[in-house]
This record gives sequence, structure tokens and C-alpha cells, in this order.
Amino acid sequence: MLSIKALNKRYGRFQAVTDLNLEVREGEIFGFVGPNGAGKTTTMKIMCGLLKATSGEISLEGVDVLRNSSRIKEKIGYMPDFFGVYDDLKVNEYLEFYGSIYNIKGSERKKITDDLLELVDLSSKRDAYVDSLSRGMKQRLCLARSLVHNPRLLVLDEPASGMDPRARVEMKEILKNLKSMGKTIIISSHILPELAELCTSVGIIDKGRMIISGSVAEIMQQVYSKKVIRIKLRDRVNEAATLLREYPFVDKLVLGEDTIQVGFEGGDEDMSKVLSALVTKGIPVVSFAPLDGNLEDVFMKVTKGDDEQ
Amino acid sequence: MNMNPVLLKELKVRMRGWKAAGIIALYLLVMTLVALFIIYTTFTNPYGSSIDPEISIGAYTALAVIQFILIMFIVPALTAGAISGEREKQTLDLVLCTRLRPISIVTGKLFASTSQTILLIIASLPLFSMVFMFGGISIKEIAQLFGFYIVTAVTIGSIGIFFSTHLKRTTAATVMTYGIVAFLAFGTIFIGVFYIRIFYQWDYQKFLPILYANPLVGFSSMLAGQFGYFGGGMRLFPGFYIANPGSSPNILNTIDPWLGNIIFDIILSAVLIVLSAIRINPVREGMASMFKQRKRLKKTDADNI
Repeated sequence: MLSIKALNKRYGRFQAVTDLNLEVREGEIFGFVGPNGAGKTTTMKIMCGLLKATSGEISLEGVDVLRNSSRIKEKIGYMPDFFGVYDDLKVNEYLEFYGSIYNIKGSERKKITDDLLELVDLSSKRDAYVDSLSRGMKQRLCLARSLVHNPRLLVLDEPASGMDPRARVEMKEILKNLKSMGKTIIISSHILPELAELCTSVGIIDKGRMIISGSVAEIMQQVYSKKVIRIKLRDRVNEAATLLREYPFVDKLVLGEDTIQVGFEGGDEDMSKVLSALVTKGIPVVSFAPLDGNLEDVFMKVTKGDDEQ
Repeated sequence: MNMNPVLLKELKVRMRGWKAAGIIALYLLVMTLVALFIIYTTFTNPYGSSIDPEISIGAYTALAVIQFILIMFIVPALTAGAISGEREKQTLDLVLCTRLRPISIVTGKLFASTSQTILLIIASLPLFSMVFMFGGISIKEIAQLFGFYIVTAVTIGSIGIFFSTHLKRTTAATVMTYGIVAFLAFGTIFIGVFYIRIFYQWDYQKFLPILYANPLVGFSSMLAGQFGYFGGGMRLFPGFYIANPGSSPNILNTIDPWLGNIIFDIILSAVLIVLSAIRINPVREGMASMFKQRKRLKKTDADNI
């Protein structure tokens, strides 16, 4: 659906985005992750026709985004990381204003406004002044605004930034809802756990370069070529360790009082072989499970951290 | 025909509550008091007759001048923050990422910002009808005056919008707008006078073309033309001649100063609106940016090698 090839953006001497490549398929929720100042917002603004690229290609459903910015604006809904609201408009008027921009008329516009307010759980605030809403509510309203014209692609830049935990959960619920509605979404964040359960694929960007991208599972596999298995035993830890060392795909063992952490290079079949050997030898295994590498670890591993910037 | 959404939204917001109605009421009250004061003082003049066109001309001139000064002072303040204010409030990107064309955003903001002034002007129309009681002023002349007001308001508004799009801060845009309005009103006169002094040693018997840009010259020439005071023509200062049309073809250039000013204003507004629209387009392809882009691309290629 969206394809970015060799995208570059330079501000004077500062290279904000370097040779960025990206593919997002229809219906995907793409998590765009990177530390602050990595180039996420710049890339998103270029996608939405709000910034000019220095070089590169972006196509959305076959349309050249960089040369047809007015055409693609009909297909994209954008929610910026920082935004203001018109303080003297009411919530429903705010959405109706954006509806009128997309030439949505009278009763249809009213219906869309009502539906969107329901989606973002702001129906009770429809007659409140936008300025009187809490930050979380404003974020949700802005999300509703980006959906007014039923865009094919939603580009959300840090949609949960600055929200309290409850508001974050509410925002996540709305995004899950959009996901179930089949929307294609690109969502950026500098916090990974926020996206881990939501996204079908992730791209990690650092210093303007896409370091790694693909499905969440693929990324885990690329970063963690070795699995770590945690075995919990009732006793006979040393005996189990001796047995484990006999296998070539066992790399390293860390022994605890009643646990062993195993660096493991084999596949699933090898893992079952090891478990079966332990059980056959009568070693009292309480649990045997590969540790999940989480996205947060991946992020820390592939980016160098903020202090270098 | 669809109304510009930006204009519609702004009008809705501006006309909400009692503030707008209150401002109009107060303005009309002040203007009425001014007109009544002039009529009263002229009436009590023991040498004045009871039905004298002089009364209406005095009141008309006072109202016309006050209203013109109002336009010159209020419009820059209202328009210079129109776009920069959106930028400062971080609402501009939200409009720019929609299908709305930059020219629609600029014209919507321009007409919304000048609408308040235009509303005051139109609201004062019945007040001007008071002068009909005494004769001397026709509907055609009032229409001419109001047309001149609206063109001037839109022109000053375009200057405000131009600086509002080109400068980041509203304060800077406001200062620049007042500066340019002051230049048009007074700077052009100074330039004209110096030009005539240096190149003609005061011996200049025509209307100096630079003064077509001057709103004060346009306004005063229109009023003078309406009153027909200056029979064969009159020189207010070097380069500024006003005369009844056709009375002294050799003195006047081919276009009346006020008409020339309106034409200048319309051209200036159009140019400034287009430049503003180009400026707020984030992916603009102006000639300068195209040149810069080419240079940038070459440099990027070199870097990649």
C-alpha cells in the first residue's frame, strides 16, 4: 500500500533522514519506533505532504506522493505529535469544520461527526468547547479529526504522548478498534511497549536511518539469533547441567539455586529433545520455557541511546 | 456554490455571543454622536440656513474620514496574526494536511479577518443615509465611498496576510504591516516630493504616478471629486493634483487618482495573496526553491558517491 524508497531529507547541513526504505501492506499496523530526534516525525510529515523530501520516492496505492501531494491528502489522515485546537469551537463544530473541508454535506457530516465522537468516546462532550477538554480528550478528538474523511491510511505521530496511564489505555483501545475495522495505520512512538501488542510490524529508526524493519516475530529473530531457555527444577541442578552440556546446540549455562538459564542455538525440535532427555533421566523439571525477548530489549540493542545524540 | 470552510468557521466563531454585536453597537453609537455633533454645531450657526448641503457635506466628510482612519488602523492588527497565529497555536499543519488548497486557506483567513471591519463599514451605511436629509450627497457617491473602503480594507488585509505567512511571529508581522501601510500613506508622498524637488525643481504640473499607491491621496481625491470643490484643479502638494474629471485633461493623467489607487490596490492584493499561498504550501515549487532543490540534490548525489 505504502512504499518508501531511498528517502532523504536534509535541513541545511543536518541530515534528518538517510536512505530510508519502508513497505507497509494494506491492513497492517506499522509501529515506527525510534528515540527522540530519530527522524520519525520528519518521515511522517513528508508522507503527508507537509514537508518536501530532498530525494527519494514515496508511493501510496501507486500514486507518487511527492508529486501529487494534494491528491494523496484525500487518502491520508494525519495526527501530529504536537497540535493546537481552536479554543472557540465546540467539539462537534470542530469535527464539522474538518468535514466541510472534505466537502461532506449536511446530514452526512452530522452523522459522521456523531459516529466519530462515539468511536473516540466523546459523545458526552459534543457541545463542550474544545479548549475545555483534557489533554487525553483533545488527543482523541484529534484522532477523530484525522478520520473525518475516512482515509485509507492513518498516520499517527506519538498519539499517546503526554497522556496519563488511563488515557493511554483508552487510546490503545481505540486503536485496537481501528485495527479491527481494517484500517492501515502507521504509528510512531519512542516507547516500545506501547506498540508491541498493537502492531503487526515494526520499523526501528535511529539517527535518520531505518535500522531494522519487518514483522515483530522477524525482528525478534533477527536480533535474537540465540534463544534463552529457563529451566526450573525441584533439585539435581548440577546433574541436569552435565546432561545439557552434552548437546552441541547448548551454548552457555547460568546456574541458579533451582534454575538453569540455557543459551540455545537449536530449533524447536532440539528443544523438545533436551526436555525429553531431562525427563527420561528422571530430573524433576518444574518448568521449561524459552524466555521471550521483548521489543524493549530489541530497541535498546539496536539503537545506541539518546546520550550519543 | 460552497462557501470557503475556513471563512465559514471564522465567521461563526467571531459572531458568537454578544461581543460582536456589542462592538457594532458601540461603534455606531460613537459615529452617530460624531454626526449629530457636527449637524448640531452647523445648525446653531447663526449664519447658516436651515437646509444647507454644507451640513450634510460636513457630517459626511467627518464620518468618511473617521471610517477611513479606522480601516487603516484596525485591519493590520486583525490580519497580521491570521496565519502566524495559527502557526503559533499549532493549528496550521492540521489545515495544511487536508485537501484544502493553500489559496483557499489564505483567502478564507483574509476575508474572515477583514470581515469584522467590513461588517462595521456596512453597519454604518444607514448612518450615512442621515446626510440625505440635507441633500448634497447622492447614493452613487456613498456607493463609491463604500467600494473604496472595501478595496482598501482588503488590500491592507492582504499586506497583513502576506507578512503573517512570511514571518513567524505575529508581533513582527503586525509591525511590518503597519510599516508598509505607513509607507504607502506617507512614504510615497516623501519620495514623490523629493523626486520632484531633485529632478524638476518643484516645476511638476502633473499627477505623479507613485501617488497611485497612496490610499490617502486616493481617498482625498475621491472626496474632492465628489464635492466638486476644485473646479479647474488644485495642487495639494507637488505631484498631487486633483480636479473634476474632464475639466482639465492636461493636468490630470488619464486615470483619476482614486480609480488609479483602486486598480493598484487590486493588483497588489492579488500578488500578495498568490505569494502568501505559495509561501504556506509546504511542498511549494517556487522558482527559488526549485533552484535550491537542484543544488541540494546535486550535493546529496555527491555525498552519496
